[in-house]
Amino acid sequence: MNAVLDSLAFDLFPLVWSGIVTGCLYALGALGLVMIFKCSRVVNFSHGNVAGFAAFLVYGFTSGLLLAVSWGVAVLLAAVFIVAIAFLTYALISPLIQTSDLTATIATLGVGLIVQGATLLLFGADIVSLDLPVPRFATSVLGLRITGYDLTVLSVAVVTIGALFLVIDFTKLGIAFRAISSNAFAAEVCGLNLARVQVFAWSVAAGLGVIGALLIVPTTFLSATTVAAFMLQAFAAAVIGGFASLPGSLIGGILIGILMNLFTFYVSPEYASTFLLVVILAALNVFPNGILAPVRGSRV
Amino acid sequence: MTDLLRIDHLSVFYGAAAQAVEDVSFSVPGNAVVALLGANGAGKSSIMKAVAGLIPGRGAITFDGARIDGTTTRARVARGIVYVPEGRAVVGDLTVRENLVLGGYTVPGPARRSRMEMVLDLFPEIAGKANGGAWRLSGGEQQMLAIGRGLMAGPRLLLLDEPSLGLAPLLVRRVFDRLATIRAESGLAILLVEQNLAMTMRLADEIHFLRGGRLIGHKRTDELRDGAARQHAVDTFLGAAAAE
Repeated sequence: MNAVLDSLAFDLFPLVWSGIVTGCLYALGALGLVMIFKCSRVVNFSHGNVAGFAAFLVYGFTSGLLLAVSWGVAVLLAAVFIVAIAFLTYALISPLIQTSDLTATIATLGVGLIVQGATLLLFGADIVSLDLPVPRFATSVLGLRITGYDLTVLSVAVVTIGALFLVIDFTKLGIAFRAISSNAFAAEVCGLNLARVQVFAWSVAAGLGVIGALLIVPTTFLSATTVAAFMLQAFAAAVIGGFASLPGSLIGGILIGILMNLFTFYVSPEYASTFLLVVILAALNVFPNGILAPVRGSRV
Repeated sequence: MTDLLRIDHLSVFYGAAAQAVEDVSFSVPGNAVVALLGANGAGKSSIMKAVAGLIPGRGAITFDGARIDGTTTRARVARGIVYVPEGRAVVGDLTVRENLVLGGYTVPGPARRSRMEMVLDLFPEIAGKANGGAWRLSGGEQQMLAIGRGLMAGPRLLLLDEPSLGLAPLLVRRVFDRLATIRAESGLAILLVEQNLAMTMRLADEIHFLRGGRLIGHKRTDELRDGAARQHAVDTFLGAAAAE
């Protein structure tokens, strides 16, 4: 009995805690994927590579490789580049959406490969480390070790996601975004500038990806593929949410974070990717319309 | 009366071969209600969508003295041409109030709020459900919301595409009575597409009859007051199917 309690206190709670922390990051990635999917009907497979490129830009700007500026300035500069890339991607993809959603989705794979190629060309295939400028701090609450990194991730995620939900729920721009997501024709009839709202969504999504990338990289390292691999988890989070629900993908992100942690610890870290795919398949079978789908009744 | 909208030799094509509208010309005077009447597939909706800028058409469309063919839907809404689609196309995921905000998206805040009060006064049926999801509304209420949303933009010309579609006769009458009120109060012009002659006559000043994408006849409503004349118009232009 004691052994079980000990295992709970020393293994399970910390695993769940750190799962929630990384889960918030998966949610940031997933929210971007879902925003783009909702308003443009495209799964943006370049999301991870673009976010990874942003992390490398921050590395390049701070390390002296490209520039030697402070972390904050580097992030601002990288954000400008990433919004420009989001804009270009949208400009490239939007004519394809007219012909077919699938064509456009496959085209995002191409964009992703180009961005990955650019990353390799500029920064090479080496592994680098990119830390966050947060104080090294750790405290223990009820046997749970909480670090400055954890608190940074949680507070950034809460503020970012909170701000996003406020904009989408309570502003005119948010109404436009939701209108385009659920009935683009009605939005067009009302005289809305669809392209402007979509560019907003693509830019915000890219920004969320950058925030997620910068926060996840300190836990591992940075290479041309790490952030793209991280986005696989974000993708799973979006699938759990049904790929069309922002709150659903938030829940999905945290769920994936916890599940992956438990699986890696109790079963096997080697099969983590397999487990992730099983979770995606299971989610698609059990709740194909997302974990929050049955909340609302059918439409009349 | 000067023409608010003039359409000259409008043709609309679907794909390379299929022609939905063929060389149609007519005009809508300011402050008037003009109806396009015809069976399904007569090209009524295509004309409306071409006027709204939602599909491309060949020919000249003049609004308030300026050519508008080739401009975007957005530009036409800004000029005061607002399309109320058939099947209503309200955004179910938004609340009633948010749908109205959407209709007046480019209108400055204070004007939008006062206009929303006006619309909710006009349609008390939806005012009580203003903060609920639009998907909860019945068909008739959705039609009222769609018209209300159109009014939010402050239109000078409202393009009403089959407002009676799928509504019970009593609701159709209520919607049309409300439209008559709007017209009397705001003096806006309406281009109306319908299949139902009796309902159309309650509102329209003149009626154009369409068949197979062409205009085949034109009557002023007062010419159709007489039962025999109306029956003659039905027989000539609409065929037995449309005789109520």
